Parts: sequence; structure tokens; C-alpha cells
Amino acid sequence: MSGVGVYIENYEGKMMTVSQEALGAARQTANDLGKSLTAVVIGQNVADVAAAAFDLGADSVIGSDHAALAEYRAEAFGPLLTQLVQEAGLDVLIAGATTQGRDMTAWLAADLNAGLIADATALKVDGDRVVATRPVYAGKLLSDTVIPEGMQIISLRSRAFAPAESTGGSGSAQWVDANVGDISTEVTGFKAKEGGVSLTDAKIIVSGGRGVGGPEGFDPVRALADTLGGALGASRATVDAGWIPYDHQVGQTGKTVSPDLYIACGISGAIQHQAGMRTSKIIVAINKDSEAPIFGLAHYGVVGDLFDVVPAVEAEFKKRLG
Amino acid sequence: MKVVVCVKQTPSTTATISVNDNVVTWEDTGSGKPNVVNPWDEYTIEEGIRLKENHGATETIALTFGSADSVDVLRTGLAMGCTSAVHISNEGAEEVDALDTAAVLAAAIEKVEDVKVAMCGKQAIDGDSGVMPMLVARKLGWTPLTFVAAINEITEDSITVERLLENGRQVITAKLPVVMSVVKEINEPRYPSFMGIRKANRATVPTWSLDDLGVSVSAPRVNWQKIYSLPAREGSVEMIDGDSMNDKAKKLVDKLFEEKVI
Repeated sequence: MSGVGVYIENYEGKMMTVSQEALGAARQTANDLGKSLTAVVIGQNVADVAAAAFDLGADSVIGSDHAALAEYRAEAFGPLLTQLVQEAGLDVLIAGATTQGRDMTAWLAADLNAGLIADATALKVDGDRVVATRPVYAGKLLSDTVIPEGMQIISLRSRAFAPAESTGGSGSAQWVDANVGDISTEVTGFKAKEGGVSLTDAKIIVSGGRGVGGPEGFDPVRALADTLGGALGASRATVDAGWIPYDHQVGQTGKTVSPDLYIACGISGAIQHQAGMRTSKIIVAINKDSEAPIFGLAHYGVVGDLFDVVPAVEAEFKKRLG
Repeated sequence: MKVVVCVKQTPSTTATISVNDNVVTWEDTGSGKPNVVNPWDEYTIEEGIRLKENHGATETIALTFGSADSVDVLRTGLAMGCTSAVHISNEGAEEVDALDTAAVLAAAIEKVEDVKVAMCGKQAIDGDSGVMPMLVARKLGWTPLTFVAAINEITEDSITVERLLENGRQVITAKLPVVMSVVKEINEPRYPSFMGIRKANRATVPTWSLDDLGVSVSAPRVNWQKIYSLPAREGSVEMIDGDSMNDKAKKLVDKLFEEKVI
């Protein structure tokens, strides 16, 4: 028995965008390998997520639905993932390279003594193996990697693959009893992220750097992000200065993002910042200093004070977008 | 209660990286220091030291697995305030994959004995996989706590942390021992003091071999078939000019609509 599996992440009863992307990439991979595609769903009240997986191209769905799985805990989800992968006879498992996806792919690799490739940005099939391209050395190089033998476990960078499209498919999922008795961890709280779009999922990111000058300096940057329905990013310097929380930081010790549009406002573009955003499709730099390194990476540049440029750009977008 | 911090030597952030025939080399003409402590691991070291200073840990031991010159990163850890360090030599095993590296680190953590908290950085800036903390946890059979942004409470036998996830922060309590990975928000790493550096340079750092640990490594489960530079970006930046700020804004917005990214 063999087959390609996708680990599906869900949050508040909905499939995560990164899992829709994983389904798209895995469907193509399964077709190229001549194998079937199975979605693996773990959680509580996830019947709708299973239905969505069928609609997005899965041939079958295997999962566990249990009250003890309401919140993600590695010790609850990990053993189940291994069990479900084995019951379904999967020999390729694809997941999103999120916090949960990295946890779960590593858990599975340790259990099955298997090869593990993290954060792939492209996949192709060569014979009966998957070749995964991934950025390495802080995004300065690419590597084509392959697991020559046995189970292949691969996680995918957010937004590197197009999400699967609706096929109108349906089916009935195979639900497996979850044996989640003895777990030593207890989730005692969850503080949901306040408003706004997740940086790694965002199509548009507007980021502020040292040039914003202080916490209030983010106001025009945030306003432009809001007008565009995008996420608010920040350089390390502004986070270290305490002007904005860490979860906005883009760059080497923050998040790696690849939006369609990245607008860098008052960001000089140190190599550490570039490591986190260089795979963005279109980069716009707005900076007073025409010599700033960010202009070497940008597709479009405006030299000027961000407090003049950003509000003008926002006003123009408001006019066009109504 | 002992704390182990796992540290890796990586190319410096500003190093120029080249690849020739699948062999990666680097130099850093600016700083003259081509190798550094993996930036994510600075937070690990700092947090390990704080567990000793503020939370009753008895020792903070820095651990690295690598070539002879990777001892440098242990000296940085000692200079910051780690109480001791152990170098695990990769002699005879230069190509080790993530799972076997985890087995090596796990065996070393067991050999240290009485460790309640083992820590890693979120990821290393060369391999960039971000899977080592979980693999080490699985090899030890300990509870994994990944992406930790804050330690809320630690007692003799339990720990409560905040994990920074895509959708928010999870507060989670686990029984010790645990393997944690930490993110940047958790602290601000200190600079080594002059006295610390002097002490670290004089410290004896024992080297353990894979034989000492009773670990053998297999052929890598993952092959890096081809390593290459990023394709050069086409064209150069187009600077937007105009008679007025509004004119520039209009031109830029026109371009972005043409690019179909709005």
C-alpha cells in the first residue's frame, strides 16, 4: 500500500490556508507519482474540515475527532498522526511549515525513523521520489533535496504554492478512535492574536523600520496596511526599541514572509531583514536615503520622507479602491 | 536541576556565501569573523543562564556537536555565564542528518544526568529547518515545548510557558523534564563581560566522541543533491519620480495595479 498524505491544520473549525496550499501541492505530487491523496485531519468537530478536504481534491480522508483534541498539543496529536499515517499506508506526508507543521513532521520523522525536509518552496517528482527545493543559509542559497529511501516527509513554506481549488468532490471520512488518555501537558489559556492578518498568510505586507521614529510613527504604515487589507510588518530595530510587538518582526530572527506585495517604509534593508522578505513577489521601498540597501532589492522605489509618501500613497489607493 | 543549552556554530549573518560543485564556503571580510553562535541560540543561552540566576537551576551547561573549532561557540556561552560546556566531536561523522544529530544531542543530555530542561534555538540560520528541538524531545521521550516566548512559572517538577503561534499565544503547563525551543521575544541576550571572556578562555572544555556516547550515525536520510545560488533578480529598481508627492503616489499606485498585486 502506498499513498500521498497531507496533514491538515484547522483553527476554530476551519482549514488553515497553508493546508489548502499543501493540498494543492500534494494533489500534483500524487498525480505525478501515480498515487492516491489522503488528507489527515485531527481535532474536535472537524467534520466540515474533512468535507473541505474532499472538495479540495483529497481522494480519501482519515482522521480523529475528539474533545481532547480541541486544542493542539504535540503529545496528543503526534502519536495520532503516526497511527493514522500507518493505518492509511502513506509513504509521503506533506504539511505546512507552520509552528504546528514543523512539530508534527518532526514527530512523525522520529517515530518512523524517516527523512524530513522542512520549508520547501517547490516540489517535483523524479522517478518515485519527490525532489524538494528549499532556501538555505538564511535564504542566500537554494538546495534541491531528496529522501532517497523510505517514507518522505516534507513541509512547505506558506504562500509558496497555490491553494487547491474546489473540485466539488465529496466522500465519507474514515474516523479512527483517538486514544488520548495519559497526556502530561495542559493548555491553560489561549490569547488569540488581535485583529489583523497573519504575516505568513498575508498577500500584502506594509512594514515600518527605524524611519518611523517611534511607536506613533507606525500609524501611517498601519493605515496603509489596513487600506490594502494587508498585514503590518516591522524591522528588528523597531521591535528592539519597543515600538511594536515581536510578532510583527520580519527578518532573520523574526518571520519569513513571501507576500505578493511588500512595502518597506523607512527600512534600510539590512541583510537580516532581507533574509525574511526577499522572496516577496513585488517589493516597494520608501526611504529618505537613496543609498539604502533596500533599493538594491526593491522593484519600485520612492525617495522621500515616509511621513509624506505613505499618506499620499494611502490616499491614492483609497481613491481607487473606493 | 540542571539546564542544558544546545548551541550551533553557523556562518555569520553578514558572511558572503558561495557554492562551487555543491560545496558551500563563506567568508566575512567585514567583521573578519566568518563563524558565529547561531543568532537564535543567543536567546537560548541567555534563558538558560536566567534559569540558574532566577529560578534555582544548579548548572547551565552549553553543548555543541561539531568540528574542533566549534568550541568557540561554547566559549561564548561560558563568557555569558554558562557554568560548564561540552564539545561533542563530529570526527569521522562529518555528514550527519537531523535525526541522527538529535540522537547525538539526546545521548549527551542523558550523559550529563539530572537535566530537567534542555533548550535549543528555534532554528539554525544555515540549515533553517527548525525541527531539532522536537527531534531531540522525541529521542529523549521528553515533553516538547516549541516556540516559547515566555516562561511564566517553573517549579521543581513543572513548567508553564507561553508558545508563540501563528494565531496567538498558547499558555501550556508541562511536567519536567522538557525540551524547549525559544524565540527572540523571550529575552535580550547579555554581552559577555570582560571577566567572563577571560574566564571562558581559560576554561577546560571536555570533548566527547560518538563512541563515548554510544551513538552511531547512519547515511543521511536526506541528500542535498544540488546546492546553488539564487537566480539573479531580473532588472533593477525603478525609481518613481514626479512633480509632486501626489504625482509620485499616483504613478506608484498605477504600477502596482499593472503588476496585479493589489
